[in-house]
Amino acid sequence: MAKTLVIQPVTRIEGHAKVTIQLNDAGNVDTARVNVIELRGFEKFCVGRPVEDLPRIMPRICGVCPWSHHLASAKACDAVFGVDPPPAGKKLRELCNSIAYMEEHILHFYFLAGADFLLGPDADYSIRNVIGVLQAAPDIARKVVKVRHMCAHMLEVLAGKAIHPQAAVPGGFSKPLAPAERDQLRKNADDALELAKFSIAFAKENVFPKYLDVVKSLGVITTGFLGTVKENGALNLYDGKLRLMTPKGAYEDFPYDRYTDFISEHIESWSYLKFPYAKQWGEGFSMDVENPKGVYRTNTLARINVCDFIDTPLAQAELEEFRAKFGRPAQLTLLYHWARLIELLYNAENTIRLLDDPEITSTETRVKCTPRAARGVGCTEAPRGTLIHDYTTDADGMVTNVNLIVGTTHNNAPINMSVTQAAKSLIHDGKYDQGVLNTVEMSIRAYDPCFSCATHRLDGKLSVKLDILDADGKLMGTLAN
Amino acid sequence: MREIDQFDELDQSDLPDFCRKPTVVLGVGNILFGDDGFGCAVVDYVEAHYRVPETVCLLDVGTSVRKLLFTLCLSSARPERLLILDAIDAGRNPGEIFEINPAEIPPVKLDDFSMHQLPTSNLLRELQETCRVEVRVLACQTGPLPEEVSQGLSPAVSDAVPQAAEWLVGEYFPSSRAPRGDLCQTTC
Repeated sequence: MAKTLVIQPVTRIEGHAKVTIQLNDAGNVDTARVNVIELRGFEKFCVGRPVEDLPRIMPRICGVCPWSHHLASAKACDAVFGVDPPPAGKKLRELCNSIAYMEEHILHFYFLAGADFLLGPDADYSIRNVIGVLQAAPDIARKVVKVRHMCAHMLEVLAGKAIHPQAAVPGGFSKPLAPAERDQLRKNADDALELAKFSIAFAKENVFPKYLDVVKSLGVITTGFLGTVKENGALNLYDGKLRLMTPKGAYEDFPYDRYTDFISEHIESWSYLKFPYAKQWGEGFSMDVENPKGVYRTNTLARINVCDFIDTPLAQAELEEFRAKFGRPAQLTLLYHWARLIELLYNAENTIRLLDDPEITSTETRVKCTPRAARGVGCTEAPRGTLIHDYTTDADGMVTNVNLIVGTTHNNAPINMSVTQAAKSLIHDGKYDQGVLNTVEMSIRAYDPCFSCATHRLDGKLSVKLDILDADGKLMGTLAN
Repeated sequence: MREIDQFDELDQSDLPDFCRKPTVVLGVGNILFGDDGFGCAVVDYVEAHYRVPETVCLLDVGTSVRKLLFTLCLSSARPERLLILDAIDAGRNPGEIFEINPAEIPPVKLDDFSMHQLPTSNLLRELQETCRVEVRVLACQTGPLPEEVSQGLSPAVSDAVPQAAEWLVGEYFPSSRAPRGDLCQTTC
């Protein structure tokens, strides 16, 4: 009899996600769906506010990637006001972006993905946690702590605060960097680079070879990719043009304020979150794992795929090695983790490059802005994907419309496809266990999704609950952690 | 490549206040979601109405609490006492203030697909049981939480903010108990 398996993480009002796996009568996977709830009502909340308020409000959307929203918002404001920040203003923004990326990527690799790789995907959840990793690898944990402290400290020096940043303002950056501060940060940047080099070397020697079979098989799908590149095709995480790449590697570049000419959004009745797809390809939309249409991915692997090269030497060398092994574009989902480490290295090198730039201590960091009726689009690469803020204002500079596309939204279709692929390969003849379900979750974790920002669930209700329903929807049994 | 052992020395002055100070109070929540902003509102209230001693780190961490808790779990320096201020739906009367003991929350696997869903309760329990930090959670029962972005506390939860502030000050820095307004009246 057909069954429905449900993996249901704890819900919270602003976000919940569940994985529903539908088995057919033979006990094999028919479909798998990841249902998420996106942040709702944000446009209405912003309408009527002065647009310059938005870079202060947006960091509150997400406690994990506040800098990404902060910078995309500031860039959208620049466009609305029709201004171009001075070089120092842009470089200070990019510097904060690189440092925030380092903090984020370190944390994700060592304590999220790391728990899968250092402790094993079948490790009990009670030890797949911070202390478990600390106990398994105490020396590594110490290095990670120091560099994360340093990154937070660097952001405080640059922006006055690391939590809820406000330093990026329409027209530039509110606080110049003093030479003495720059010298202090320069020493910190060297330490960050050492950890980045260590991390990728460690992973290539101790992690990826051990799990190569899993990397080659889990959640593997074939899609296009979207990411940001500079005019010369180099990787850039703060600014540039968007590049939309087909599954076979052909691509088209476009300015990000024309994103609506290239991307459209599909709606499914079973999900609140939309499914962006590449309408430019003219093939429509389908999440059929065997024959996808219009589906593209963002996030680390996408950015590594779409760029022609990386303009920092160590990261470029790693990119060349990566492409020699996996080609371009690389499709294996778990390679997101490898790509994340290449980005970590790039951001460490970029931090040093920016701090060594004489312009970084210029006191001309912002220009004046005058309200006007306009539409402006700001785009950056958030750690988990291309982030677009699209604002429209009236003649007084008051917001009349807001549209946000966050990284995870772009990845909604690919996440569903990866889960379907993983479930189909692991569940047969109605047989499954907790280890199998954990592995399905690994395919989602590779995308580092944001199932609606701002979750911080405290009440500890059960998270993984498996309801087994028959084809008529009748509850036959429940499994839970 | 430099030897990785050179990282072992950590200058304590490089550590953030929430690692170095003996008492840490974190206001947690999203101010864009109605009563979920309770924790942040209490921090704002205490800062505005009381003198916070140097030994106390009082922070509105908004939605970034997980990153801080991660750092605390891993850090060689930790506070002696940690208080979390948060809003919660526990089926009580809106505005009711109560304590939660992290040790009483059963170990669970919560969403861990990304940093956005890491189990805060598990991190708190780890701090308490493994890292020997005294962890307390002061919660306020919310009214109905909005389904859309909507800033501002409900009347019941708003009324609870000064009560929570008074409790917090009495528990953690009672010498500052007189609200700032009274102090000013005495000395001015």
